[in-house]
Amino acid sequence: MKVEFWGQEFHANMIVGCIGGFLIAVMSSMFGFGGGPFMVPLMTVAMRLPMYIVVGSSLLAIFFNTAMGTLRHYQFGNFDLLFFLAMFPAALLGGYIGPQIAKRVSPIVVKRVACVGLILLGLKLLGLY
Amino acid sequence: MKEKLKLLKMVFVVLACLLPVSAAFAQDQGAPTLQIDRTELKNGGVIKVTGKAPPGQPVFLEVWAVDKTVRANQFDNKRDEETGKIPYIFYITHDMPAYYKIFMPSELQPKLDAIKAEGGKWSFSKALKETGADVAYNVPAGIKVDHYQATLMASVIGSRGTLLPALDADENKKRSMQLIKSRFRSYDKVLGADVNVAPDGTFSADINIRSGLAPGKYRIAAVVDRNLRSQPAEFENKISFPTMYLKNAGTSMNLLWPFLLTLVVAIFGVLMGAGGGFILNPLLVSIFPMLPHTVVAGTVMPTVLFSQGSGIYNYSKIKFINWKLGIGIGCAMLLGGFIGPKLTEMITLAQFKFAFGWILLVLAGLMFWQTTAGYLAKNKKEQAILKEFKKRAEEAAKAKK
Repeated sequence: MKVEFWGQEFHANMIVGCIGGFLIAVMSSMFGFGGGPFMVPLMTVAMRLPMYIVVGSSLLAIFFNTAMGTLRHYQFGNFDLLFFLAMFPAALLGGYIGPQIAKRVSPIVVKRVACVGLILLGLKLLGLY
Repeated sequence: MKEKLKLLKMVFVVLACLLPVSAAFAQDQGAPTLQIDRTELKNGGVIKVTGKAPPGQPVFLEVWAVDKTVRANQFDNKRDEETGKIPYIFYITHDMPAYYKIFMPSELQPKLDAIKAEGGKWSFSKALKETGADVAYNVPAGIKVDHYQATLMASVIGSRGTLLPALDADENKKRSMQLIKSRFRSYDKVLGADVNVAPDGTFSADINIRSGLAPGKYRIAAVVDRNLRSQPAEFENKISFPTMYLKNAGTSMNLLWPFLLTLVVAIFGVLMGAGGGFILNPLLVSIFPMLPHTVVAGTVMPTVLFSQGSGIYNYSKIKFINWKLGIGIGCAMLLGGFIGPKLTEMITLAQFKFAFGWILLVLAGLMFWQTTAGYLAKNKKEQAILKEFKKRAEEAAKAKK
Protein backbone atom coordinates (compact mmCIF):
# COMPACT_ATOMS: atom_id res chain seq x y z
CA MET A 1 0.00 0.00 0.00
CA LYS A 2 1.27 3.46 -0.85
CA VAL A 3 1.05 6.11 1.83
CA GLU A 4 1.73 9.76 1.40
CA PHE A 5 3.07 11.85 4.22
CA TRP A 6 4.16 15.45 3.99
CA GLY A 7 4.83 15.33 0.29
CA GLN A 8 6.74 12.06 0.38
CA GLU A 9 5.53 8.70 -0.72
CA PHE A 10 6.28 5.47 1.10
CA HIS A 11 5.55 1.88 0.39
CA ALA A 12 4.00 0.23 3.47
CA ASN A 13 3.69 -3.53 3.62
CA MET A 14 0.22 -3.79 5.10
CA ILE A 15 0.28 -7.59 5.31
CA VAL A 16 3.20 -7.50 7.73
CA GLY A 17 1.64 -4.51 9.51
CA CYS A 18 -1.77 -6.11 9.96
CA ILE A 19 -0.53 -9.52 11.07
CA GLY A 20 1.98 -7.96 13.45
CA GLY A 21 -0.58 -5.44 14.70
CA PHE A 22 -3.13 -8.20 15.26
CA LEU A 23 -0.72 -10.32 17.32
CA ILE A 24 0.44 -7.34 19.34
CA ALA A 25 -3.19 -6.37 19.95
CA VAL A 26 -4.15 -9.84 21.21
CA MET A 27 -1.17 -9.89 23.54
CA SER A 28 -1.51 -6.35 24.83
CA SER A 29 -5.26 -6.49 25.42
CA MET A 30 -4.88 -9.88 27.07
CA PHE A 31 -2.32 -8.52 29.52
CA GLY A 32 -3.74 -5.02 29.76
CA PHE A 33 -1.01 -2.73 28.48
CA GLY A 34 -0.86 -0.28 25.59
CA GLY A 35 1.46 -1.96 23.14
CA GLY A 36 3.38 1.13 22.01
CA PRO A 37 6.84 -0.27 22.77
CA PHE A 38 6.10 -3.17 20.41
CA MET A 39 4.26 -1.23 17.70
CA VAL A 40 7.03 1.29 17.07
CA PRO A 41 9.71 -1.36 16.36
CA LEU A 42 7.19 -3.25 14.21
CA MET A 43 6.51 -0.22 12.04
CA THR A 44 10.07 1.09 11.87
CA VAL A 45 11.97 -2.18 11.53
CA ALA A 46 9.58 -4.69 9.97
CA MET A 47 7.69 -2.19 7.77
CA ARG A 48 10.74 0.05 7.18
CA LEU A 49 8.88 3.26 7.76
CA PRO A 50 10.70 6.37 9.00
CA MET A 51 10.23 7.43 12.59
CA TYR A 52 8.37 10.64 11.87
CA ILE A 53 5.47 8.91 10.17
CA VAL A 54 5.37 6.19 12.82
CA VAL A 55 4.99 8.27 16.01
CA GLY A 56 1.51 9.60 15.32
CA SER A 57 0.14 6.76 13.24
CA SER A 58 1.15 4.01 15.65
CA LEU A 59 -0.62 5.88 18.43
CA LEU A 60 -3.77 5.95 16.35
CA ALA A 61 -3.55 2.21 15.63
CA ILE A 62 -3.01 1.42 19.31
CA PHE A 63 -5.96 3.56 20.30
CA PHE A 64 -8.26 1.22 18.36
CA ASN A 65 -6.90 -1.71 20.35
CA THR A 66 -7.13 0.03 23.72
CA ALA A 67 -10.68 1.20 23.09
CA MET A 68 -11.85 -2.25 22.00
CA GLY A 69 -9.93 -3.99 24.78
CA THR A 70 -11.45 -1.67 27.37
CA LEU A 71 -14.94 -2.36 26.08
CA ARG A 72 -14.44 -6.11 26.15
CA HIS A 73 -12.86 -6.12 29.59
CA TYR A 74 -15.82 -4.11 30.81
CA GLN A 75 -18.19 -6.61 29.22
CA PHE A 76 -16.48 -9.53 30.97
CA GLY A 77 -16.70 -7.71 34.32
CA ASN A 78 -12.96 -7.14 34.64
CA PHE A 79 -13.28 -3.40 35.16
CA ASP A 80 -13.38 -2.15 38.75
CA LEU A 81 -14.54 1.45 38.98
CA LEU A 82 -13.02 2.34 42.37
CA PHE A 83 -9.70 0.81 41.45
CA PHE A 84 -9.79 2.78 38.20
CA LEU A 85 -10.57 6.02 40.05
CA ALA A 86 -7.52 5.44 42.27
CA MET A 87 -5.20 4.99 39.31
CA PHE A 88 -6.60 7.32 36.67
CA PRO A 89 -5.74 10.68 38.36
CA ALA A 90 -2.26 9.33 39.11
CA ALA A 91 -1.79 8.46 35.44
CA LEU A 92 -2.86 11.98 34.42
CA LEU A 93 -0.63 13.59 37.03
CA GLY A 94 2.28 11.41 35.92
CA GLY A 95 1.71 12.43 32.32
CA TYR A 96 1.94 16.05 33.44
CA ILE A 97 5.02 15.73 35.69
CA GLY A 98 6.90 13.32 33.42
CA PRO A 99 7.72 15.67 30.52
CA GLN A 100 9.10 18.25 32.95
CA ILE A 101 11.57 15.77 34.40
CA ALA A 102 12.31 14.36 30.95
CA LYS A 103 14.18 17.52 29.93
CA ARG A 104 16.72 16.96 32.69
CA VAL A 105 17.56 13.29 32.33
CA SER A 106 19.31 11.43 29.56
CA PRO A 107 16.97 9.02 27.74
CA ILE A 108 19.79 6.51 27.36
CA VAL A 109 20.30 6.29 31.11
CA VAL A 110 16.54 5.93 31.63
CA LYS A 111 16.36 3.15 29.05
CA ARG A 112 19.28 1.27 30.61
CA VAL A 113 17.68 1.54 34.06
CA ALA A 114 14.39 0.36 32.56
CA CYS A 115 16.19 -2.51 30.91
CA VAL A 116 17.60 -3.75 34.22
CA GLY A 117 14.25 -3.19 35.94
CA LEU A 118 12.38 -5.12 33.25
CA ILE A 119 14.76 -8.07 33.45
CA LEU A 120 14.41 -8.20 37.24
CA LEU A 121 10.62 -7.94 37.06
CA GLY A 122 10.47 -10.51 34.27
CA LEU A 123 12.60 -13.02 36.19
CA LYS A 124 10.47 -12.45 39.27
CA LEU A 125 7.31 -13.25 37.31
CA LEU A 126 8.95 -16.37 35.95
CA GLY A 127 9.57 -17.36 39.56
CA LEU A 128 13.33 -17.56 39.20
CA TYR A 129 13.99 -15.79 42.49
CA MET B 1 -67.62 -36.52 53.45
CA LYS B 2 -67.07 -32.89 54.30
CA GLU B 3 -66.36 -33.82 57.92
CA LYS B 4 -63.79 -36.33 56.83
CA LEU B 5 -62.04 -33.75 54.72
CA LYS B 6 -61.95 -31.34 57.64
CA LEU B 7 -60.46 -34.00 59.89
CA LEU B 8 -57.82 -34.83 57.32
CA LYS B 9 -56.96 -31.15 57.08
CA MET B 10 -56.58 -30.90 60.85
CA VAL B 11 -54.33 -33.91 61.04
CA PHE B 12 -52.25 -32.38 58.31
CA VAL B 13 -51.91 -29.06 60.12
CA VAL B 14 -50.93 -30.73 63.39
CA LEU B 15 -48.35 -32.83 61.60
CA ALA B 16 -46.96 -29.78 59.86
CA CYS B 17 -46.62 -28.04 63.22
CA LEU B 18 -44.90 -31.02 64.79
CA LEU B 19 -42.40 -31.59 62.03
CA PRO B 20 -40.12 -28.60 62.59
CA VAL B 21 -40.30 -29.11 66.34
CA SER B 22 -39.13 -32.67 66.05
CA ALA B 23 -36.44 -31.61 63.59
CA ALA B 24 -35.23 -28.96 66.02
CA PHE B 25 -35.28 -31.52 68.79
CA ALA B 26 -33.16 -33.90 66.76
CA GLN B 27 -30.68 -31.13 66.05
CA ASP B 28 -30.40 -30.22 69.71
CA GLN B 29 -29.19 -33.66 70.53
CA GLY B 30 -25.47 -33.36 69.98
CA ALA B 31 -25.53 -30.26 67.84
CA PRO B 32 -22.57 -28.09 68.77
CA THR B 33 -23.01 -24.66 70.28
CA LEU B 34 -20.73 -21.70 69.81
CA GLN B 35 -20.10 -18.17 71.08
CA ILE B 36 -17.83 -15.43 69.82
CA ASP B 37 -16.20 -12.74 71.96
CA ARG B 38 -16.79 -9.80 69.65
CA THR B 39 -19.18 -8.94 66.86
CA GLU B 40 -17.28 -6.19 65.14
CA LEU B 41 -13.89 -6.02 63.46
CA LYS B 42 -12.03 -3.10 61.92
CA ASN B 43 -10.40 -4.34 58.72
CA GLY B 44 -9.67 -7.74 60.18
CA GLY B 45 -8.60 -8.90 63.61
CA VAL B 46 -8.77 -11.88 65.92
CA ILE B 47 -12.03 -13.40 67.11
CA LYS B 48 -12.14 -15.90 69.95
CA VAL B 49 -14.61 -18.69 69.32
CA THR B 50 -15.64 -21.02 72.12
CA GLY B 51 -18.25 -23.73 72.27
CA LYS B 52 -19.21 -27.26 73.06
CA ALA B 53 -19.59 -30.28 70.84
CA PRO B 54 -20.15 -33.97 71.51
CA PRO B 55 -16.99 -35.34 73.11
CA GLY B 56 -14.43 -37.20 71.08
CA GLN B 57 -15.35 -35.67 67.73
CA PRO B 58 -13.35 -33.31 65.55
CA VAL B 59 -14.83 -29.82 65.33
CA PHE B 60 -14.68 -27.73 62.18
CA LEU B 61 -15.53 -24.06 61.91
CA GLU B 62 -16.94 -22.83 58.64
CA VAL B 63 -16.54 -19.06 58.20
CA TRP B 64 -17.92 -17.13 55.26
CA ALA B 65 -18.83 -13.63 54.11
CA VAL B 66 -22.57 -13.19 53.81
CA ASP B 67 -23.02 -9.82 52.10
CA LYS B 68 -20.35 -9.78 49.45
CA THR B 69 -19.90 -12.22 46.64
CA VAL B 70 -17.34 -12.27 43.87
CA ARG B 71 -16.83 -13.83 40.51
CA ALA B 72 -14.68 -16.90 40.11
CA ASN B 73 -13.91 -18.73 36.91
CA GLN B 74 -11.89 -21.67 35.79
CA PHE B 75 -11.09 -23.16 32.41
CA ASP B 76 -10.95 -26.93 32.35
CA ASN B 77 -8.52 -27.97 29.62
CA LYS B 78 -6.98 -30.95 31.40
CA ARG B 79 -7.09 -34.20 29.49
CA ASP B 80 -9.60 -36.65 30.95
CA GLU B 81 -7.60 -39.73 31.99
CA GLU B 82 -10.38 -42.18 31.20
CA THR B 83 -11.57 -40.96 27.82
CA GLY B 84 -8.41 -39.18 26.71
CA LYS B 85 -10.44 -36.18 25.61
CA ILE B 86 -9.81 -32.58 26.56
CA PRO B 87 -13.11 -31.11 27.82
CA TYR B 88 -12.50 -27.38 27.13
CA ILE B 89 -15.24 -26.31 29.52
CA PHE B 90 -15.36 -22.88 31.09
CA TYR B 91 -16.83 -22.70 34.61
CA ILE B 92 -17.96 -19.41 36.11
CA THR B 93 -19.90 -18.24 39.16
CA HIS B 94 -20.85 -14.82 40.42
CA ASP B 95 -21.92 -16.01 43.86
CA MET B 96 -18.62 -17.04 45.46
CA PRO B 97 -18.47 -15.67 49.03
CA ALA B 98 -15.83 -12.92 49.17
CA TYR B 99 -14.36 -14.77 52.15
CA TYR B 100 -14.43 -18.46 52.88
CA LYS B 101 -12.36 -20.55 55.24
CA ILE B 102 -12.65 -23.80 57.15
CA PHE B 103 -10.81 -24.05 60.46
CA MET B 104 -10.01 -27.55 61.63
CA PRO B 105 -8.62 -29.13 64.81
CA SER B 106 -4.98 -28.19 65.41
CA GLU B 107 -3.95 -31.88 65.36
CA LEU B 108 -4.51 -31.79 61.60
CA GLN B 109 -1.67 -29.31 61.06
CA PRO B 110 0.67 -32.04 59.63
CA LYS B 111 -1.91 -32.69 56.91
CA LEU B 112 -1.93 -29.00 56.00
CA ASP B 113 1.87 -29.07 55.90
CA ALA B 114 1.64 -31.94 53.42
CA ILE B 115 -0.68 -29.81 51.25
CA LYS B 116 1.78 -26.95 51.49
CA ALA B 117 4.49 -29.26 50.16
CA GLU B 118 2.41 -29.83 47.02
CA GLY B 119 2.91 -26.17 46.08
CA GLY B 120 0.68 -24.71 43.37
CA LYS B 121 -0.71 -28.12 42.37
CA TRP B 122 -2.74 -28.66 45.55
CA SER B 123 -6.38 -29.67 45.22
CA PHE B 124 -9.07 -28.28 47.48
CA SER B 125 -11.38 -31.28 47.20
CA LYS B 126 -8.54 -33.67 47.99
CA ALA B 127 -7.52 -31.52 50.97
CA LEU B 128 -11.09 -31.56 52.30
CA LYS B 129 -11.31 -35.31 51.97
CA GLU B 130 -7.96 -36.02 53.62
CA THR B 131 -8.60 -33.77 56.60
CA GLY B 132 -12.23 -34.81 56.96
CA ALA B 133 -13.23 -31.19 56.57
CA ASP B 134 -15.56 -32.11 53.70
CA VAL B 135 -18.36 -32.49 56.28
CA ALA B 136 -18.07 -28.75 56.95
CA TYR B 137 -18.07 -27.74 53.30
CA ASN B 138 -21.56 -26.41 52.94
CA VAL B 139 -22.07 -22.78 51.93
CA PRO B 140 -20.26 -22.63 48.58
CA ALA B 141 -21.56 -26.06 47.54
CA GLY B 142 -24.87 -24.51 46.59
CA ILE B 143 -23.65 -21.50 44.62
CA LYS B 144 -24.81 -21.30 41.06
CA VAL B 145 -22.06 -22.48 38.72
CA ASP B 146 -22.56 -21.88 35.00
CA HIS B 147 -20.53 -23.80 32.50
CA TYR B 148 -19.86 -23.20 28.86
CA GLN B 149 -18.59 -25.50 26.16
CA ALA B 150 -15.72 -23.48 24.71
CA THR B 151 -14.57 -24.15 21.17
CA LEU B 152 -11.65 -22.80 19.24
CA MET B 153 -14.06 -21.03 16.88
CA ALA B 154 -15.98 -19.46 19.76
CA SER B 155 -12.74 -18.27 21.34
CA VAL B 156 -11.62 -16.75 18.05
CA ILE B 157 -14.76 -14.67 17.83
CA GLY B 158 -14.33 -13.85 21.51
CA SER B 159 -17.30 -15.74 22.90
CA ARG B 160 -17.44 -17.94 25.99
CA GLY B 161 -19.12 -20.67 23.97
CA THR B 162 -22.52 -22.27 24.43
CA LEU B 163 -24.10 -22.30 27.88
CA LEU B 164 -24.63 -25.90 28.96
CA PRO B 165 -27.60 -27.11 31.02
CA ALA B 166 -27.34 -26.56 34.80
CA LEU B 167 -25.09 -28.89 36.77
CA ASP B 168 -26.59 -31.42 39.18
CA ALA B 169 -25.96 -30.89 42.91
CA ASP B 170 -22.96 -33.22 43.20
CA GLU B 171 -21.23 -31.88 40.13
CA ASN B 172 -22.00 -28.34 41.21
CA LYS B 173 -20.34 -29.03 44.55
CA LYS B 174 -17.29 -30.55 42.92
CA ARG B 175 -16.86 -27.62 40.53
CA SER B 176 -17.44 -25.09 43.31
CA MET B 177 -14.41 -26.58 45.07
CA GLN B 178 -12.26 -25.99 41.98
CA LEU B 179 -13.59 -22.46 41.75
CA ILE B 180 -12.62 -21.92 45.40
CA LYS B 181 -9.07 -22.79 44.50
CA SER B 182 -9.04 -20.59 41.42
CA ARG B 183 -10.44 -17.71 43.46
CA PHE B 184 -8.44 -17.98 46.70
CA ARG B 185 -5.39 -19.69 45.15
CA SER B 186 -3.34 -20.71 48.16
CA TYR B 187 -4.44 -23.37 50.64
CA ASP B 188 -3.81 -21.23 53.73
CA LYS B 189 -6.43 -18.72 52.57
CA VAL B 190 -9.19 -21.33 52.86
CA LEU B 191 -7.88 -23.87 55.36
CA GLY B 192 -6.48 -23.39 58.84
CA ALA B 193 -5.78 -25.64 61.84
CA ASP B 194 -6.59 -23.42 64.81
CA VAL B 195 -9.32 -25.22 66.73
CA ASN B 196 -8.33 -26.70 70.10
CA VAL B 197 -10.74 -29.44 71.11
CA ALA B 198 -10.70 -30.75 74.71
CA PRO B 199 -11.57 -34.40 75.45
CA ASP B 200 -14.93 -33.32 76.95
CA GLY B 201 -15.97 -31.69 73.70
CA THR B 202 -15.42 -28.05 74.59
CA PHE B 203 -13.44 -26.24 71.96
CA SER B 204 -11.85 -22.85 71.48
CA ALA B 205 -10.15 -21.13 68.57
CA ASP B 206 -8.50 -17.78 67.93
CA ILE B 207 -9.65 -17.02 64.44
CA ASN B 208 -7.54 -14.52 62.59
CA ILE B 209 -9.55 -12.58 60.02
CA ARG B 210 -6.87 -11.00 57.82
CA SER B 211 -6.93 -7.39 56.70
CA GLY B 212 -7.96 -6.43 53.18
CA LEU B 213 -11.16 -8.46 53.17
CA ALA B 214 -14.65 -7.55 52.12
CA PRO B 215 -16.65 -5.44 54.58
CA GLY B 216 -20.04 -6.57 55.82
CA LYS B 217 -21.50 -9.47 57.72
CA TYR B 218 -19.69 -12.75 58.27
CA ARG B 219 -20.96 -15.96 59.80
CA ILE B 220 -19.30 -18.75 61.73
CA ALA B 221 -20.80 -22.18 62.20
CA ALA B 222 -19.34 -25.12 64.12
CA VAL B 223 -19.68 -28.44 62.33
CA VAL B 224 -19.16 -31.93 63.68
CA ASP B 225 -20.92 -33.99 61.09
CA ARG B 226 -22.80 -33.35 57.89
CA ASN B 227 -26.05 -33.03 59.85
CA LEU B 228 -24.65 -31.68 63.08
CA ARG B 229 -24.19 -27.96 62.68
CA SER B 230 -24.47 -25.18 65.23
CA GLN B 231 -26.55 -22.09 64.68
CA PRO B 232 -24.24 -19.60 62.98
CA ALA B 233 -22.83 -16.67 64.96
CA GLU B 234 -22.55 -13.39 63.13
CA PHE B 235 -19.97 -10.61 63.17
CA GLU B 236 -19.30 -7.59 61.02
CA ASN B 237 -16.09 -6.43 59.37
CA LYS B 238 -15.83 -2.66 58.99
CA ILE B 239 -13.43 -0.68 56.84
CA SER B 240 -12.92 3.05 56.47
CA PHE B 241 -11.42 5.40 53.89
CA PRO B 242 -8.86 5.32 52.27
CA THR B 243 -9.33 1.59 52.49
CA MET B 244 -12.24 0.73 50.26
CA TYR B 245 -13.88 -2.38 48.94
CA LEU B 246 -13.22 -3.16 45.29
CA LYS B 247 -16.37 -4.84 44.16
CA ASN B 248 -15.08 -6.71 41.14
CA ALA B 249 -11.79 -7.64 42.73
CA GLY B 250 -13.59 -8.87 45.88
CA THR B 251 -11.03 -7.40 48.22
CA SER B 252 -10.59 -4.16 50.10
CA MET B 253 -7.50 -2.15 49.74
CA ASN B 254 -5.89 1.11 50.79
CA LEU B 255 -6.38 3.09 47.58
CA LEU B 256 -3.37 5.29 48.32
CA TRP B 257 -0.99 2.50 47.25
CA PRO B 258 -2.24 2.01 43.70
CA PHE B 259 -2.38 5.81 43.36
CA LEU B 260 1.28 6.26 44.33
CA LEU B 261 2.41 3.25 42.33
CA THR B 262 0.62 4.50 39.21
CA LEU B 263 2.10 7.96 39.65
CA VAL B 264 5.67 6.67 39.82
CA VAL B 265 5.17 4.25 36.94
CA ALA B 266 3.44 6.89 34.78
CA ILE B 267 6.33 9.34 35.25
CA PHE B 268 8.85 6.64 34.49
CA GLY B 269 6.79 5.64 31.45
CA VAL B 270 6.99 9.15 30.04
CA LEU B 271 10.77 9.21 30.55
CA MET B 272 11.10 5.89 28.77
CA GLY B 273 8.90 7.01 25.93
CA ALA B 274 6.43 4.19 26.43
CA GLY B 275 3.22 3.75 28.34
CA GLY B 276 3.54 2.38 31.84
CA GLY B 277 0.95 -0.41 31.53
CA PHE B 278 3.45 -3.17 31.01
CA ILE B 279 5.24 -2.24 34.26
CA LEU B 280 2.15 -1.41 36.28
CA ASN B 281 0.38 -4.71 35.59
CA PRO B 282 3.10 -7.10 36.76
CA LEU B 283 3.84 -4.87 39.75
CA LEU B 284 0.20 -4.88 40.81
CA VAL B 285 -0.20 -8.65 40.55
CA SER B 286 3.08 -9.19 42.42
CA ILE B 287 2.49 -6.68 45.21
CA PHE B 288 -1.24 -7.30 45.75
CA PRO B 289 -1.70 -11.04 45.33
CA MET B 290 -5.39 -10.85 46.20
CA LEU B 291 -6.19 -8.78 43.10
CA PRO B 292 -7.32 -11.11 40.30
CA HIS B 293 -5.18 -10.68 37.19
CA THR B 294 -8.32 -10.23 35.09
CA VAL B 295 -9.33 -7.16 37.10
CA VAL B 296 -5.79 -5.76 36.99
CA ALA B 297 -5.59 -6.11 33.21
CA GLY B 298 -9.13 -4.83 32.69
CA THR B 299 -8.70 -1.78 34.87
CA VAL B 300 -5.18 -0.68 33.91
CA MET B 301 -6.05 -0.68 30.22
CA PRO B 302 -8.63 2.13 30.33
CA THR B 303 -6.26 4.41 32.29
CA VAL B 304 -4.10 4.91 29.19
CA LEU B 305 -7.10 5.58 26.97
CA PHE B 306 -7.20 9.26 27.85
CA SER B 307 -3.49 9.96 27.37
CA GLN B 308 -3.61 8.17 24.03
CA GLY B 309 -6.64 10.20 22.99
CA SER B 310 -5.01 13.50 23.88
CA GLY B 311 -1.82 12.40 22.09
CA ILE B 312 -3.77 11.66 18.93
CA TYR B 313 -5.54 15.02 19.19
CA ASN B 314 -2.23 16.88 19.51
CA TYR B 315 -0.69 15.06 16.58
CA SER B 316 -3.78 15.51 14.43
CA LYS B 317 -3.75 19.25 15.07
CA ILE B 318 -0.42 19.51 13.28
CA LYS B 319 -1.48 16.87 10.73
CA PHE B 320 1.14 14.45 11.95
CA ILE B 321 -0.95 11.33 11.58
CA ASN B 322 -1.31 9.27 8.46
CA TRP B 323 -4.92 8.20 8.80
CA LYS B 324 -4.75 5.59 6.09
CA LEU B 325 -1.85 3.81 7.77
CA GLY B 326 -3.17 4.23 11.31
CA ILE B 327 -6.69 3.05 10.56
CA GLY B 328 -5.44 0.21 8.35
CA ILE B 329 -3.36 -1.32 11.09
CA GLY B 330 -5.93 -0.15 13.64
CA CYS B 331 -8.55 -2.45 12.09
CA ALA B 332 -6.30 -5.46 12.60
CA MET B 333 -5.69 -4.33 16.16
CA LEU B 334 -9.41 -3.86 16.73
CA LEU B 335 -9.83 -7.55 16.00
CA GLY B 336 -6.97 -8.46 18.34
CA GLY B 337 -8.41 -6.28 21.09
CA PHE B 338 -11.69 -8.15 20.72
CA ILE B 339 -10.10 -11.52 21.35
CA GLY B 340 -7.46 -10.72 23.95
CA PRO B 341 -9.69 -9.99 26.98
CA LYS B 342 -11.47 -13.32 26.43
CA LEU B 343 -8.16 -15.11 26.76
CA THR B 344 -7.33 -13.29 30.01
CA GLU B 345 -10.05 -15.12 31.91
CA MET B 346 -9.13 -18.49 30.43
CA ILE B 347 -5.63 -18.51 31.87
CA THR B 348 -4.57 -18.95 35.48
CA LEU B 349 -2.47 -16.46 37.40
CA ALA B 350 0.56 -18.74 37.04
CA GLN B 351 0.19 -18.75 33.24
CA PHE B 352 -0.38 -15.00 33.27
CA LYS B 353 2.85 -14.48 35.18
CA PHE B 354 4.80 -16.89 33.00
CA ALA B 355 3.75 -15.24 29.74
CA PHE B 356 4.18 -11.75 31.12
CA GLY B 357 7.65 -12.66 32.38
CA TRP B 358 8.73 -13.52 28.85
CA ILE B 359 7.08 -10.41 27.41
CA LEU B 360 9.09 -8.29 29.83
CA LEU B 361 12.34 -10.03 28.91
CA VAL B 362 11.65 -9.39 25.20
CA LEU B 363 10.85 -5.79 26.06
CA ALA B 364 14.10 -5.50 28.02
CA GLY B 365 15.88 -6.72 24.89
CA LEU B 366 14.12 -4.06 22.80
CA MET B 367 15.06 -1.39 25.33
CA PHE B 368 18.69 -2.51 25.33
CA TRP B 369 18.77 -2.49 21.54
CA GLN B 370 17.58 1.11 21.65
CA THR B 371 20.67 2.08 23.66
CA THR B 372 23.23 0.40 21.38
CA ALA B 373 25.56 2.61 19.36
CA GLY B 374 24.22 1.52 15.97
CA TYR B 375 20.64 2.30 16.90
CA LEU B 376 21.56 5.61 18.49
CA ALA B 377 23.40 6.82 15.39
CA LYS B 378 20.45 5.91 13.19
CA ASN B 379 18.01 7.30 15.70
CA LYS B 380 19.86 10.62 15.85
CA LYS B 381 19.30 11.11 12.15
CA GLU B 382 15.69 10.02 12.42
CA GLN B 383 15.04 12.29 15.36
CA ALA B 384 16.56 15.22 13.46
CA ILE B 385 14.25 14.56 10.52
CA LEU B 386 11.34 14.08 12.93
CA LYS B 387 12.04 17.45 14.54
CA GLU B 388 12.39 19.15 11.19
CA PHE B 389 9.09 17.74 9.95
CA LYS B 390 7.35 18.54 13.19
CA LYS B 391 8.55 22.14 12.99
CA ARG B 392 7.27 22.45 9.48
CA ALA B 393 3.97 20.89 10.49
CA GLU B 394 3.56 23.21 13.45
CA GLU B 395 4.34 26.23 11.31
CA ALA B 396 1.86 25.09 8.69
CA ALA B 397 -0.80 24.69 11.36
CA LYS B 398 -0.06 28.16 12.71
CA ALA B 399 -0.07 29.75 9.24
CA LYS B 400 -3.54 28.38 8.68
CA LYS B 401 -4.81 30.25 11.68
